Parts: sequence; structure tokens; C-alpha cells
Amino acid sequence: MACGLVASNLNLKPGECLRVRGEVAPEAKSFVLNLGKDSNNLCLHFNPRFSAHGDTNTIVCNSKDGGAWGTEHREPAFPFQPGSVVEVCISFDKTDLTITLPDGHQFKFPNRLNLEAINYLAADGDFKIKCMAFE
Amino acid sequence: VSFEISNMEMKLGETLKLKGQIQDNRFAINLGRGPDELSLHFNPRFNESVIVCNSKEAGCWGQEHRDDHMCFSQGADVKFTVTFQSEEFKVTLPDGYQLTFPNRLDHSHLSYLSVRGLHISAFKLK
Repeated sequence: MACGLVASNLNLKPGECLRVRGEVAPEAKSFVLNLGKDSNNLCLHFNPRFSAHGDTNTIVCNSKDGGAWGTEHREPAFPFQPGSVVEVCISFDKTDLTITLPDGHQFKFPNRLNLEAINYLAADGDFKIKCMAFE
Repeated sequence: VSFEISNMEMKLGETLKLKGQIQDNRFAINLGRGPDELSLHFNPRFNESVIVCNSKEAGCWGQEHRDDHMCFSQGADVKFTVTFQSEEFKVTLPDGYQLTFPNRLDHSHLSYLSVRGLHISAFKLK
């Protein structure tokens, strides 16, 4: 996968919401949003798979602590389509991250790293970030 | 510590919108290909009441442009837009005033953004 936009020193605090809007490529197989402290310490690896690694239309989430992946979480909701503009909102507190999908569906993923701020965001795969807001 | 974006894909003709709050008595928005390769360094300084623009090539600053149109102050919520054209950058200030700065490095694609002294609340590329 091609390496996409990387943002650092975001200083996103608990209770704040990160809104990311971007374009999913027409032939998209998979894309990734990584959030955390840096590339080796991710409180959220958010990976919608249209058709990748044996998964079809599934969101795979995970965390990475000191370079080591945690246990995968699979979310059955999949409101994404290739060739469309999508928006995802992510907020967090000490215990969980809350992800709001484009259709309004929400789910939680545990804040396993207990991060007190999110400073790093990276996009990867078949997705191009056009807009970010910190609220 | 500054807000930084790398691997951005800003092409000629595109416009970057930034919203934020001014934290310091000077701030800077840098656009280019990396910290030592800046096509646009936009640097308002309140103590001198001037907006300094410059470019940086291979780590060396170019010739400064100074503009005294200062329409914002420390603590203010502001919005800037930067349009990237082959000849020049057009920076629109919060009151609509437009400042231009030549595209000296002649790049057609910018991948790096850094911002210091301004707490960013929104980033938009169009």
C-alpha cells in the first residue's frame, strides 16, 4: 500500500473529536487510518477492507504497543463504497475510542495504550485525506 | 513543537484552508517539500507589526517579502487560505486581503506543511 498523509503533533485531548474526510479510490481494496503517539504506538489502527487479506467488506481494528500488534477486533458494519467521499469521526477517553462511521453507526475500541493525547495520524492505502477537523 | 503534515498531495491550482487560534506573538505556516525546502514561509510578527514571507531552498533562506497589512492579533481565531499556482502563492487573510508571494522553487507538487504558534482546528485541501 502506498504511504499517505502523516500528521504529527496534533495534540488531540480526551473528549475532543477528530473528523477526517477523504476520497476512497474507485478500485479500493483497503485503507488504513492509524492514530496514536507515533508509528509504533497506535491506540487505533482502523482498517476497512473491501477485499484484502481474505476479508470482504469488514472493518479490522487493532492497536500497536511498542511495535507489537494487539488482538484484532472485527466490526461487521461496513458503510463504505469504492469511489466515494467518506467521513469518519473519532473521539477518545481514558478507556475507549469511539468511532462514528459515515452512516452514523458507532462502535467502541478499547484505549489499550491509555494515551492521554493523540499526536499522530497517518493514512495509508486507497484513501486520500482532504479535510481534518479537531473539535 | 509544531503541527506537521508530510506526504501531502497538494497540486497546482489547489487551495489549502487552515483554521486555528493564534497562540503566540508570532506564528508561521510553512509549505514545501520538507523543513529545508519551503516554497512558502508565511510568518506574521506582532511585535514588528509585519507579515514576513520567504522561501527556503536547500536550507538557505531567500529574500524576505514584508507586508504591513496586519488584520489579526494574538489569541484570535483565524482562517487563512493558500492557493498554489505555478507563478505565485495567493494567501487570503481573515479580512479578505490577498497577499501574493512568487513560487520561486518552481515546484508543481507540495508534500509538506508545518505550523507553529497557531493551534490548528481544521485543515482542508481542495
